[in-house]
Amino acid sequence: MKKIASLLLIFSVFAAEAQNNFKVPAYEKFKLKNGMTVYLMEQHEVPLIYVSAVFDAGSIQDGDRYGLASMTADALLFGTKKYTKEQIEEATDYVGANLNSGAGKESARVSMSFATKDADKMFDVLQDVLVNPTFDATEFDKYKQRSLLQLTQQKESPRAVIGNYFNKMVFDQHPYASPTDGTTSTIDKITAEDVRSFYKTYYTTDHAAIAIVGDFKTADMKKRITALLNGWKTAEGRMIKRVVPDLAFDKSRVLLVNKGDARETTFLIGGKGVDYINPDYVPIMVVNTILGGRFTSWLNDALRVNSGLTYGAGSRFSRYKMGGTFYISTFTKNSTTVPAIDMALQVLDSLHRTGLNDEILASAKAYVKGDFPPNYESAGALAGLLTDMFTYGFDENYINTFQTKVDGLTVAKAKDIIAKYFPKDKLQFVLVGKADEIRDSVKKYGTITEKEIKDEGF
Amino acid sequence: MRKTILGLALWLVGFATLAQNSPDDVKTFTLPNGMKFLVLEDHSIPTANMYFFWKVGARNEVHGITGLSHFFEHMMFNGAKKYGPKQFDRVMEANGGSNNAYTTENVTVYTDWFQKDALETMFQLEADRIADLSIDSTMVQSERGVVLSERSTGLENSNYRTISELVKGVAFQEHPYMFPVIGFESDIKSWTQEDLENYFKTYYSPNNATVVVVGDITLAQVKKLADQYMAPIPARGLPPKVRTVEPEQNGERRVTTYKDITTPNILLAYHTPETSHEDYYALDLLNNLLTSGNSSRLTKALVMDTTLASQVFSFMGDGFDPNLFYIYGVAGNGVSAQELEKAIEAQIDDLIQNEVSDRELQKVKNQKLMEFYRTIETINGKANSLGTYEVFFGDYRKLYDAPKLYEKVTPADVKRVAAKYFTERNRTVGYLLPDKTN
Repeated sequence: MKKIASLLLIFSVFAAEAQNNFKVPAYEKFKLKNGMTVYLMEQHEVPLIYVSAVFDAGSIQDGDRYGLASMTADALLFGTKKYTKEQIEEATDYVGANLNSGAGKESARVSMSFATKDADKMFDVLQDVLVNPTFDATEFDKYKQRSLLQLTQQKESPRAVIGNYFNKMVFDQHPYASPTDGTTSTIDKITAEDVRSFYKTYYTTDHAAIAIVGDFKTADMKKRITALLNGWKTAEGRMIKRVVPDLAFDKSRVLLVNKGDARETTFLIGGKGVDYINPDYVPIMVVNTILGGRFTSWLNDALRVNSGLTYGAGSRFSRYKMGGTFYISTFTKNSTTVPAIDMALQVLDSLHRTGLNDEILASAKAYVKGDFPPNYESAGALAGLLTDMFTYGFDENYINTFQTKVDGLTVAKAKDIIAKYFPKDKLQFVLVGKADEIRDSVKKYGTITEKEIKDEGF
Repeated sequence: MRKTILGLALWLVGFATLAQNSPDDVKTFTLPNGMKFLVLEDHSIPTANMYFFWKVGARNEVHGITGLSHFFEHMMFNGAKKYGPKQFDRVMEANGGSNNAYTTENVTVYTDWFQKDALETMFQLEADRIADLSIDSTMVQSERGVVLSERSTGLENSNYRTISELVKGVAFQEHPYMFPVIGFESDIKSWTQEDLENYFKTYYSPNNATVVVVGDITLAQVKKLADQYMAPIPARGLPPKVRTVEPEQNGERRVTTYKDITTPNILLAYHTPETSHEDYYALDLLNNLLTSGNSSRLTKALVMDTTLASQVFSFMGDGFDPNLFYIYGVAGNGVSAQELEKAIEAQIDDLIQNEVSDRELQKVKNQKLMEFYRTIETINGKANSLGTYEVFFGDYRKLYDAPKLYEKVTPADVKRVAAKYFTERNRTVGYLLPDKTN
């Protein structure tokens, strides 16, 4: 592959549809009697229906029981009043449907896709999964064993875990620091009874939304979904007052995670970012495109194209509801760790010192407008978009003004954006690699702390 | 390198008759220099893509130049006559386009995604590098570092990568499918300028490419630009045929390696025929029976009902020549590689001994249809599928036969192919075991 299509070069785009100003397709939004928000959007290109349901039940609700939200979301599929886990899987597999559940930091999500002709059966399964999960203890215990092993195995891949170390380091005591998948000692203690209780507390209809996108008639679907979920009574959702994470760092810090057999150093360098609906996000994204959001970005150009130090380098803003992070990410062989970090820092520094010019800005604007790898081309992506609107509190205006915001960005304004939003110093470093080979030379970047990758947690 | 994704694309296209497109919607023409074009107009969104399928991959390599096909996938972005180093990407991105590329054992594919008005720019960029690629020694040196890093990061982050390279190298004793697509480390470090120049001349001749254009463009536009920019590129002779034929495997082969991991990983590989073979459909359905969904045989028996494995997957490698069917499993806690292997083989034996039920077979046929719909929702899915089918089955039109070929597969066929290919003698077993010396 020319590029890894993964965390390195991807940045989230509110896709602008080429020359045409991208608009969110028409949809209907209403509330059920129980407070649940419903979004319906017709898309008839293929005979499929996509469903996405979200609940205020993400890992920020974990407290010190890391992994509780994630285990609860996963366990929704372990059987219901009407169907055993096996029956759910047999029914969905038979018609080629996909049914998934999971939790992120902000919310838990159940998503499903199936053929229009299978709607009756699949909506029946979905309803029971949402309303009547039984959290079967036998299935839960097997799942727990698998999860414990997977947590250990995750640590075999630096790329899979480096983000958890970074979040723990920068968010510290804030709930965003909680590793969504948990740690071995925390999930070992969580029982089927715990997830049942978590479900009762946080899967409440007044803090939930469901989006259905695909091949149906809105009026019919409105009737169907109302019949299906109107009668669902849950507890009242809790309003939890949360504080905004404090990401004002007073010094540079280095977390060195030792992986004894590492052949390369994987690293993130970053600091404070922005919250999900920051009004300047579009210009921030255009500037980040130049810094580290595309193949010809300055980071990739310096670290990959000019020097051959790495296969890929990039930067991104990772956004949550109440705050976010910015980080540069790349990897290089053990012996070139310091040259690669130095070069990444130089590139970031030149963004602040030298800034942008008209030519590069024009190129980045064209790129972000044209580059819509099919973010919103498929019905599934649109269902995700609608439930994200609910979770993060934005509406289609945020997307419909995308092109105007891109076009309105000038070099002068970009300068302000850079000064305001792109970290410059007091950077936070996470390095996963062979500590013995790099320890002495990376001390210069900040106060150093060391961890063993095989130790529990992050 | 992509593996499973490409396999997926193959059968997905098989259902195209059931979607909006019909074979007649795909227009084709071939330039006098042999470059073939498939064009599908799709005006649903104001963008288009252009996929170049070159019939060159790791199977065209020999010792000393392993990884060269993949290296070219990188070098094609490093400068030509009109657009110098970096210009391909810079011009493309400034025009609102983006690109990627992938290399497999069989093909090298370049993908351009762009706004419809940038079609001519895409032709200019592509024609320049196909006609006049410059192989600058400084760029070669720097790109070696990039590819060594790509190889290293694959091995650092993927246990599958580690074991699969070893298993391929043992399952194939003669045929070049034995080579890892990324190449051997020592070869990456030492191929020469002459190797590169020869390889480009041999394989990047217009008659060795199939171009697929899908999106908000017209056949007339594509034809005009192809005549203008691609037709002048002279054809060279077709590349030499791959002569080596892998002899039948007549006895199990086993290979073991170690890494600092938690539990054993095992990989079973069985020789299966080339993609265009008639048994393809039954084997492809068998693959779904094994590992598609939690109700599939291996997933259910090893991951869901028991904790023998923490994960399992399977796939059939695509090939112009006979390739391998792989089954990969990661052992559960306290489960040995031998126990996991036995459990997998018990499931295979069941498929050899007993016919699958009509309902279970219908399940995997249904899955294929659904996965097809999910793919053709996007123009990229359409382009990749059309091109893949054209090169692997020899004619994109053959994809329209696929629905009835899948539908025709009976429980007896599945049993027959299981018995024919999943034999002990035809098997290579790889163990990646926890290295306790660290």
